[in-house]
Amino acid sequence: MAFKTVLRALALAIATVCTAPAFAGSKNIELPPDSVQLKPSSLPGYAKAQAACVACHSAEYMLYQPPTAPRPYWDAMVKRMKGVFKAPIDDADMPLIVDYLARTYGSEQPK
Amino acid sequence: MHRPDHPHLSRRRFVGGATGLLAGAGLGSVARGAFAQPSATMEQPFVNGRRNLVAFPEKRPLIVLTTRPPQLETPFEVFNEGLITPNDAFFVRYHNAGIPTSIDADKHVIRIGGNAAGKPFELSLADLRTQFKPVEIVAVNQCSGNSRGFFNPRVTGGQLANGAMGNARWLGVPLKDVLARAEPANSARQVSFNGLDIALFGGGDFVKALDIGHAMDGEVMLAYQMNGADIPMLNGYPVKLIVPGYYGTYWVKHLSEIEVIDREFDGFWMKPAYRIPDNDCACVEPGTAPPATRPIGRFNVRSFITSVSDGARLMAGRETAVRGIAFDGGQGIREVAYSTDGGQSWRGARLGADAGRYSFREFSFGFTPEQGAYDLRVRAWNRSGQSQPMEALWQPAGYMRNVVESVKVTAV
Repeated sequence: MAFKTVLRALALAIATVCTAPAFAGSKNIELPPDSVQLKPSSLPGYAKAQAACVACHSAEYMLYQPPTAPRPYWDAMVKRMKGVFKAPIDDADMPLIVDYLARTYGSEQPK
Repeated sequence: MHRPDHPHLSRRRFVGGATGLLAGAGLGSVARGAFAQPSATMEQPFVNGRRNLVAFPEKRPLIVLTTRPPQLETPFEVFNEGLITPNDAFFVRYHNAGIPTSIDADKHVIRIGGNAAGKPFELSLADLRTQFKPVEIVAVNQCSGNSRGFFNPRVTGGQLANGAMGNARWLGVPLKDVLARAEPANSARQVSFNGLDIALFGGGDFVKALDIGHAMDGEVMLAYQMNGADIPMLNGYPVKLIVPGYYGTYWVKHLSEIEVIDREFDGFWMKPAYRIPDNDCACVEPGTAPPATRPIGRFNVRSFITSVSDGARLMAGRETAVRGIAFDGGQGIREVAYSTDGGQSWRGARLGADAGRYSFREFSFGFTPEQGAYDLRVRAWNRSGQSQPMEALWQPAGYMRNVVESVKVTAV
């Protein structure tokens, strides 16, 4: 029954604390590669986004936004990346990137 | 010695230089030439909800919100396995891409300083473990944006279902005891917290702050164990700030720097990020902006059925044991009611063992349906009478969803 499961889990947690081994000295991990890429596009902002956006973060940040996400959202995000996070994006490239994002992932994508 | 305005500068000494981490991240990018094959995919119950499941280091396959930096959601069925969320299933949320992948805990140091610290000092992890009296607490950690994907109208940001939460037993030292050694001045107003993760280009380092009274309340804690084991790297190894009852944004990972300061910290992640409407419901009319905001704080009340999922088929004429979890921001759960008719009538559920007022609390009830369709709902109250709304509240950032959930089932 669920209640017993709970008690077992708690008892196990307590027991583990009491018998915990000495502190492990170090940890090393290897992170998995990206599993999604930016959507290819003939828009000029695609190549710019490849260089400016996914250098720092993976493409799920764009891919998983609600398809209703309007152009002002993408504009604000690109400006935030440069203004707050100091991402090295040329001012001239920013409208191109916003255009690619709004039309590929946002409310302006083809239905 | 420390410049609170530039925490990332002083931190470079610990991590071997921001450029070192940047180079490491760069190497990682090169190695990512081949793209990963996810072990499986799943569908979140909202538009554009297809997700990969991938096993990250020290983790079982979890729902990938983002790969780089990692943001991983716990599959909801885990919450039916027990009140404690296993370390390898616990959700992960980073903000910046420069995350540590190699930490020698024996060399890890926490610097305690700031312009309102009378006696700045450095604390090794060994000191933390041996020079203070350890405490334990079972506490829920929940992402501010847990359940954001269910907002209607949709809001932008991390599109999570209900799995960016977890309940763990944390072992560590009260922050109060560590801060006391730094002899905070009367001018101290806030305490800021920084970890080893960095922003790759120097802007937007992830630093959070608590008011001095909160930091000294004896409950905020520096944890070095989670469920009896080392904290997983992706959850903040080797030491993590535990802020019971508060949203996960304050639970700084890989904690490396604490500053006692004489002002209100206003870094990006305190302002304008992680703000909620400054009113009682922390809500506004859908689609509107709040006139004033405040930093997000304590959890509101939530409850979930975990043993039956939406769309399930039950056996008519047989009793189904339904169970679930409830929690709040630290008053403790007083009562859980359930409805099988979409909220028209309610009865009391049984409460399970009390593991503390910051823990998940189990509830259960028996349900013997006739043939037909049922809309199961649960609603919890905490000890100060706060509860959950029947209709979802809305705010532009998509934080703090806590509507009474609906689980539709059919008995055949």
